Parts: sequence; C-alpha cells; structure tokens
Amino acid sequence: MFKNLHLKVGLFVITVLVLALAFLVYVLHARGFFEQRMHLQLAAASAEGITPGMPLTFSGMPIGQVASVNLNDAGGIVIKAEISQSGAKWLRTDSTFNLDKPLVGGAKIKVSTPDLSSPQLPDNATVLLLVTDPAQEIPALIERVKNILANVEHITRQDGELNSTLANAKTITTRMSGKYGVLEGVLGSEENARPVVNSLKNLEGLTARLNEVSAKVDAMLVKADRWLFAEDGMSEQSKQALAQVRSMLTDAQGSLKRVDELLKNAVDISANVKDGTQDLAKLRADIDDSVRKANDLLNDINRMWPFGGDADMKLP
Amino acid sequence: MEFLLNFVERTGAKAVGWWNATFAVLAFLTEVLSTLVRPATWNRATLDTIVKQIYFTAVQILHVYLVYVLAISWVIITITLSTARDVGLFDAATEMIIRVLLLELLPFLTALLIALRSGSAINTEVALMKVNNELDALSHCRVEPMQFEFLPRIAGGIASVIGLTVLGSVLTLFLAYFSIYGLSTSGFDAFSNTISTVFGIGVLMGLGVKCIFFGLAVTTLPMAAGLETPKKLFMVPVSVLRGMMRVFLALVLIEVLSLALEYI
Repeated sequence: MFKNLHLKVGLFVITVLVLALAFLVYVLHARGFFEQRMHLQLAAASAEGITPGMPLTFSGMPIGQVASVNLNDAGGIVIKAEISQSGAKWLRTDSTFNLDKPLVGGAKIKVSTPDLSSPQLPDNATVLLLVTDPAQEIPALIERVKNILANVEHITRQDGELNSTLANAKTITTRMSGKYGVLEGVLGSEENARPVVNSLKNLEGLTARLNEVSAKVDAMLVKADRWLFAEDGMSEQSKQALAQVRSMLTDAQGSLKRVDELLKNAVDISANVKDGTQDLAKLRADIDDSVRKANDLLNDINRMWPFGGDADMKLP
Repeated sequence: MEFLLNFVERTGAKAVGWWNATFAVLAFLTEVLSTLVRPATWNRATLDTIVKQIYFTAVQILHVYLVYVLAISWVIITITLSTARDVGLFDAATEMIIRVLLLELLPFLTALLIALRSGSAINTEVALMKVNNELDALSHCRVEPMQFEFLPRIAGGIASVIGLTVLGSVLTLFLAYFSIYGLSTSGFDAFSNTISTVFGIGVLMGLGVKCIFFGLAVTTLPMAAGLETPKKLFMVPVSVLRGMMRVFLALVLIEVLSLALEYI
C-alpha cells in the first residue's frame, strides 16, 4: 500500500540529521569554534550601550564581536572582544577603536588602522575604546537651535523690522510698476517724477534746437570763409592796405631823416637862432601832416580788419 | 443572592473541570514518559510504528510543507528587506529575518500545520477507539495501547516537528542569503557573523527544546482529549473540538514562554 515507506522515511530522517549536523557545524564555525580567535580587552569609561555580540567592524566589514562586558573588582569596565583569524591582521598597534552609536540602527565598534605597516597587535592586548555619542550632543544642539528660532521669531514678528522692510520694498516695487517706472520708485511719487520726465523732454527739444543752431553756425562759417579768403575778399584788401602802410612809413622815414638833418643844422647854426626858428615852424607842419596821414591809415585798417574789434561770437 | 451562588457554583464546576482535564493530561504525560524510558518499549514493533507515524506526519506532506515554507519565507524576507532598506536599518535585516523566521515563526507554523493535519486525526482516531471499546480490546489482547498506539504517534510527532523545522530553516537560510547578497559568496562572512551572533549554544538548545514541546503538545493533547471522550458517538466531535483548542492554547503558551525566556 505504501511503497518504499521505509526508504522514504529513512531518506527524510537522514536528510534532517545531516542538515541539522551541518548547521550545527556551520554555527560553531561561524562562532569561531574551530579557529584560533584573537582576544582583545577594551578599556572604556562606561559600558553604556555596549552589549555582548556587538560587532567590531573594519572599513564596514565585521571582523569580530564583543564577547562579554563585566565589572572588575575595582569597579572598572572589562570588555572582552573576539576577533576572527582573518580579521586579526587588520589590527595594528596604532589602530583606534571607536564606539559608534548612531541615532538609528545598532551600535558597533569601528576599528580604523591608519598605518598598515605598523606592528601587529598582540593577542590579549588592552586597547582604549573611544566613545562618541551623538545623543549626548543633542541637548546642546537643541539649545542653540532654540536661540536661533527665537531670533528668527523676533525678526519676523508682526511689527518687526523685517516686516516693515518688506512693506517698504513692496511700496517701492508697486511705485516702480507705475507710470514713471523706477524714477517713481526712487523719487517717491508720480508727482515728484513728473518734473524729471518733463525736463528730459525739454532737453530733447533743446538738443534739437542746438542741432539747428550748429547747422546755422556751419553755414555762417562757410560764408565767412568765402568773405575772407575769396578772390576779392577781405584778406586781399588787407594785403593792399599793408602795402600802402609800408609806403607811408617809408615817407615818414624820409621826413624823419630830414628832421635829423635839420637838427644837425640847428646845432651848427645855433648861433643864428633867429633865422632857424622860421625853418622849425615849417618842419613842424610837415611832421604834423605825416602823423595825421599815418593816423588816418591806421583808422582805415581798423575799420577794414574784421578781427580787430570784439571777437566774441554771440549765440542766439 | 441566588444568582451569586449560581455564579460561584458555575465557576467552581469549571475550575474542577479544568483541574480534572489538566490532571488527566499530566497523568497521561507521566505515563508516556515512563513508557518512554522503559527499555522494553523499544522493540522492533514500536520502532516500526514510529517509522510509519513519521511517514504519515512528515514525509507525506513534505512537498506541500516546503512550498508553504518557501512562500511564507519569501514574503517575509522581501517585506523585511524592503522595510529595512527604507528606514535605513539594512544592517539589522539579516538578524531580523533569522530571528523572526528561524527562531519563532517556522517552528510555530510547523507545529500548527502538524496539529491541524495529524493532531486532529489522532484526536478523532483515539476518541473513536474509545467509543468503540477498541482500546479495552487491545489491552485485553496484551497489546498495550500506550506502547503501540500512543507512544509511536508522540515520538513520530516530535520527530516530525523537529525534522520539518530543520528542513524549512535550511531552505529559509538559503533563501535569505540569496535575497540579501544574490548569487555571490561576498556576503558569506557577514552572514556567518550574524548567524553566530544569533545562534548561541543556549539559543540552539532552546530551539530544540521548544520543538520537542511543540511535538509533544500537538500529539499528547489530542490523545488525552480523545481518551476523555464519554462512550457516546456524538461526543467525538466535541472531544476533537476540545482537544484542538487545547493544542492551540498550548502552542501559544510555549511560544510566549520561549520568547519570554529569550528576551526578558
């Protein structure tokens, strides 16, 4: 009825026994029963948060675990840890042991070895366990955050500076979006900004007129140029006048020479003063005549010379 | 006044009933244990019956059981891993899986499955034997019911609970490893480390004892309930009902006690 009943049961029992035995061996192997484990003693100020079974990790990989935590007779903490054979090679004399207690998740002891060339840590060595507990820093942190929040609250209170500043900023930006844009924002109101805009408009008209004026001046300059430097222009006439002046000066020079001779005669014939006085009167009339001629000429030149008088150009 | 008196009377009757039942179970258990340690018990015939019981209780449902363990384990491993990843406790996921599945859930579910399938069958069988006077007839023929009917079932039940739990646990361990690390041996050291952390010698022994108690509960309690059955056929369902209820309570009690011993 039940074929191979014994065989099946035998298979079941043998499988179960083999698996159970294999599992037992595996657990014993995992617990380091078959290997020489390295033992460490960790010295710490407090055993708080340290429990047997807590892993020791090197670069995040488990290399051992805490075997026991006890108080010794002197009230000190004795933490014994076991390191697997493969993990022991990472422990050097300058290795540091840090108790890492994250806010979330299990605590572990982090081993870090800065220099892997330093000598191996001996078995049963005692090392210092450093404890950095973020939970203990929390109250101080909370106190500081509270202060910051109080400040923020003070700044952002209903009638606070920030609020009025923001209100002002809002007013300014509202004005800026008005008819006169940024000018209105800077000057305060539309009324204040209007004159500035008007002046700018006036300036625009002024510039246009200035342009016209400069065009007129241009035209005048062209005329003046023509008047001065044309074939029969002013400069030609001046040249002729200068020639006349030169001849008149030659005349005057001749008259003066005669005066010289006369004066020499006067010295020679000083004895006969009576006769001489008649010649002097005639000479004086001659000189007067020459000087008057020169004066007339100069007046003529002044009249004809365009730059002799007031040289300022009057703009309209 | 009369109501109060009735209440006290009813409570007293219940307490006596409970006591009687407990006493009967304990007396039966004592008899089982005394039979167990008697060298004369362990003859060829008893062993043959035990083998048959293991076959009916464990081997017959092995494929169903393994599929069932695979499904349950896969679901729980997946949920645990994704939750652990979400809350940033992935390091603790392996230990969580091993503790929840291997130490608690699998032994309990195995015992429950055997109680449902074999425990109820044993209860009905024993109750019917009692009602039909078969047990008296066997005793009359010098075939001790305890040795040839009860003990093999109890031994078979215990062996089945332990055997199925071992098979399911190994399957779950493989499933957990492959779910966490994939098809690579890179996580073997970390996995072994977690296993070594969870399975201390005390925990392993506790797990074994728990499985033995589970096996005892799922076979002894239905048998005791069956033996209590009055010789009336319509009392058989009531007997099965009571027996299965006791099995359930006992399983929960064992589980709670084991958890309390381990964690409190």
